[in-house]
Amino acid sequence: MTTTPIMTVTDLHKTYGKPGTKQYEALKGIDFNVQAGEFVGIMGASGSGKTTLLNMLATLDKPTSGEVTIHQQPITHLKGNQLADFRAKEIGFIFQDFNLLETMTAFENIALPLTLQNTPTKQIKPAVEKVAGQLGIAEFLSNYPNELSGGQKQRVAAARALINEPAMLFGDEPTGALDSKSARELMDLFTTINQRQAVSILLVTHDPFSASFCQRILFIKDGQIGQELKRGTASRADFYQQILDNLGTFEQ
Amino acid sequence: MLTKLAVSGLKHRWRDYLVLFSGLIMSSAIFYMFEALATNQAFLKQNTSISMVGFIFQFGSVLLTIITLVYISYANSFLLSMRKRDYGLFMLVGARKRKIGQLIWLETLLVGIIATLVGIIVGTALTAGISQLLINALGLSIHKLAAWYLPAALATLILYVGLFLLAGLFNLIALTKTPALKLLHSNDQPNRPQLKAGRQWAQIIIGLVSISIGYWAMANLGTLQLAGIGLALVTIVLGTYCLFNAIFVWLMVVLKRFAFAHRGLNGFTLSQLSFRIRNYTKMLSIVAMLFALALGAITVGMGFHRETPLMAKSSNAYDMGIVNMTKAEQSKVASLKPTEQTTYHFKTKQKTVFYRASEFNQHPYQTIKLESRNSLDATTQRLKATQLAKSQLRYQLMQLQTPAFQYTTPVFLSDAAYAKLAEPQNRLTIFVTDDVTAHLATFKQLVKSQSDRNPSIKTGVLGGRYSNYVMINGMYSGLEFMGLFLGIAFLAMLASCLMFKILSGANADQHRYQMLAKIGTTAHQQRSAIRKEIAVLFILPGIVGVIHVLFGLKMFSMLMVSSPYTGIWIPFLIFAGLYLIYYLITVNIYKRIVLQ
Repeated sequence: MTTTPIMTVTDLHKTYGKPGTKQYEALKGIDFNVQAGEFVGIMGASGSGKTTLLNMLATLDKPTSGEVTIHQQPITHLKGNQLADFRAKEIGFIFQDFNLLETMTAFENIALPLTLQNTPTKQIKPAVEKVAGQLGIAEFLSNYPNELSGGQKQRVAAARALINEPAMLFGDEPTGALDSKSARELMDLFTTINQRQAVSILLVTHDPFSASFCQRILFIKDGQIGQELKRGTASRADFYQQILDNLGTFEQ
Repeated sequence: MLTKLAVSGLKHRWRDYLVLFSGLIMSSAIFYMFEALATNQAFLKQNTSISMVGFIFQFGSVLLTIITLVYISYANSFLLSMRKRDYGLFMLVGARKRKIGQLIWLETLLVGIIATLVGIIVGTALTAGISQLLINALGLSIHKLAAWYLPAALATLILYVGLFLLAGLFNLIALTKTPALKLLHSNDQPNRPQLKAGRQWAQIIIGLVSISIGYWAMANLGTLQLAGIGLALVTIVLGTYCLFNAIFVWLMVVLKRFAFAHRGLNGFTLSQLSFRIRNYTKMLSIVAMLFALALGAITVGMGFHRETPLMAKSSNAYDMGIVNMTKAEQSKVASLKPTEQTTYHFKTKQKTVFYRASEFNQHPYQTIKLESRNSLDATTQRLKATQLAKSQLRYQLMQLQTPAFQYTTPVFLSDAAYAKLAEPQNRLTIFVTDDVTAHLATFKQLVKSQSDRNPSIKTGVLGGRYSNYVMINGMYSGLEFMGLFLGIAFLAMLASCLMFKILSGANADQHRYQMLAKIGTTAHQQRSAIRKEIAVLFILPGIVGVIHVLFGLKMFSMLMVSSPYTGIWIPFLIFAGLYLIYYLITVNIYKRIVLQ
């Protein structure tokens, strides 16, 4: 590919515990790039370091050494307001437990990133309705999160993550709390968003089914990237089989 | 084993328990403080001649009991929500319901008893400390006040332990009837704010009507007597609650429609408030009542304090009269820098005091006259001998005479007639300073040196502004003390109520603010959202409380000579300052919990 990568990760290390005490190295030098518009999955068993990695990439935690850039901007040293602005403008998050504010309606939850940037009121409503329409939740906008199903909640979360048209969308086990039907619908939705709007997506999961929707999968084990699997032109079902086979050998 | 588990749970949540305990301790300490005054009949009788005060205290006790009831039910639900997960866990690992029931009962009761006992000790210390502070700072004369008063301690203990027994029973039923799984996930039950126009209007109307009845009752206490206080109490509590319920809900829903709700975290703050609306309305009505009681009590206390020197000032044009002043006394008087000093000569024969008219014509005697019965504004007039002999106001001169002649009418003689009297001549020196209250210590010495010479002279009977001041201060000290003491107590109760309520919600907010940080909220935005949310919770009851006080002060026009509204901004300002400090503390603690 000739395009410049949207995210570069260079020699990322993370060590827990202070020097002198018993230390634990969660990440042992991770290198990879994500191209613009790519749909990448990161797989690994519990404790493999995949959530730690995601937290570094998504500015939620700071690496011990190494660098991450998004849109050519180094992000590991961002602080305070710069960090907040970066989160609000450049990246979107979707979490396993939705992380919606149960005190606000779906509409208000989705609109929150815009109001944080003091977007003019006139622009907020059309923007929310547009993204809600794309995600098929237009009719639930006035509901509170506890009045929605898991799948609907996760769509609201996705809408909130997408409303600022971020450069990168991060997902941390987004299907983890969903039933299989909702999970499939959500992954289909991600695929559509990825293809139509060219949003780059990085997904952390241990679920082979969700992972099979990605174009490329990085397998992480004991804090290092062990293997990389590319879907290429294979169908999703075939890719799913490949992943299962790979997992079988990789985890041994 | 289970007990061990329970204790370890306690260790892990010491921070929450700290909030719970400090809240309960404050509450019981204040209840004790109030009861220490209210149940001490000797103190009440000794310090006020107004019989109504006793009844006011009884009503106060009832009100405070109601407030305590609500407070404990909050504290209990806080305790319950804290322990639900743990108890659910115990059930999952197979603990028997009976055993868990015992544990809950024991824990609730233990928390209650420990908090109450500590509260009584704290209350005793507070009573001693605050009363000393007030007495010293204001120069009050207070008798028979005991910081440690057994009946008050018993009343506090019985009420609190009784309420905790009930609370324990409630917890027992609530927890053992709920399935284990539900206990594990019973964190949030959102409240969708509902706007039902009919109900809203009904509440507004009931609220307005009952508050106006209450205000009317307070204004007409003269005719309604005791029933008026009871009526006002019930109607104002009800009205405040209805209005808060109706208007608060409405306000939050309506405010969201404005453009400012779509800027920054304003929308989030409004949602936070409306989410907890039903919890808050009860607490806010109570806080508004406490605010009104505290502010009202302080205003009245300060009103009496302000009124004492004014009454003394308008009681006589002179500070003191001294018969046959000695040299030592003269130098003391000179040190006071009197603005006027006159000496009249007089002779006494049996029950008559004879003055020389010429002296009064040369230095006319200054009289003071109140403009009306309900005012302390006075006009002064200098009267010569013949005018003074005819004037009703001559009693002011009589007050300054030797105690033995205080009730005898002065007679003004011509110099010739005066000279014919064989009795020995005496001197009456009268003087006035710029401010009698500024020199109280010197005046006290003057009284002492006079009574040393003449044992019939004592503070109480010696006329003039100084002795009137001492007398009025003695009369008003009791009321002043009660007002300020209760004001401080109610303020502390208000503080712990509001703080408790707000802090008990802080844990739930922690994850909300963490989430806001993840989607790109700056720390500044978060802090300002916290400040705004808590400010609303402080300001709303404050406004209502101030309105209550403005109407409630009418009650005291019966007890006070001047309008209870004069100089009202001073206590209001002091109160606002305390309230602000208390707001800042709450915000800081909240920030520390939420933005870890």
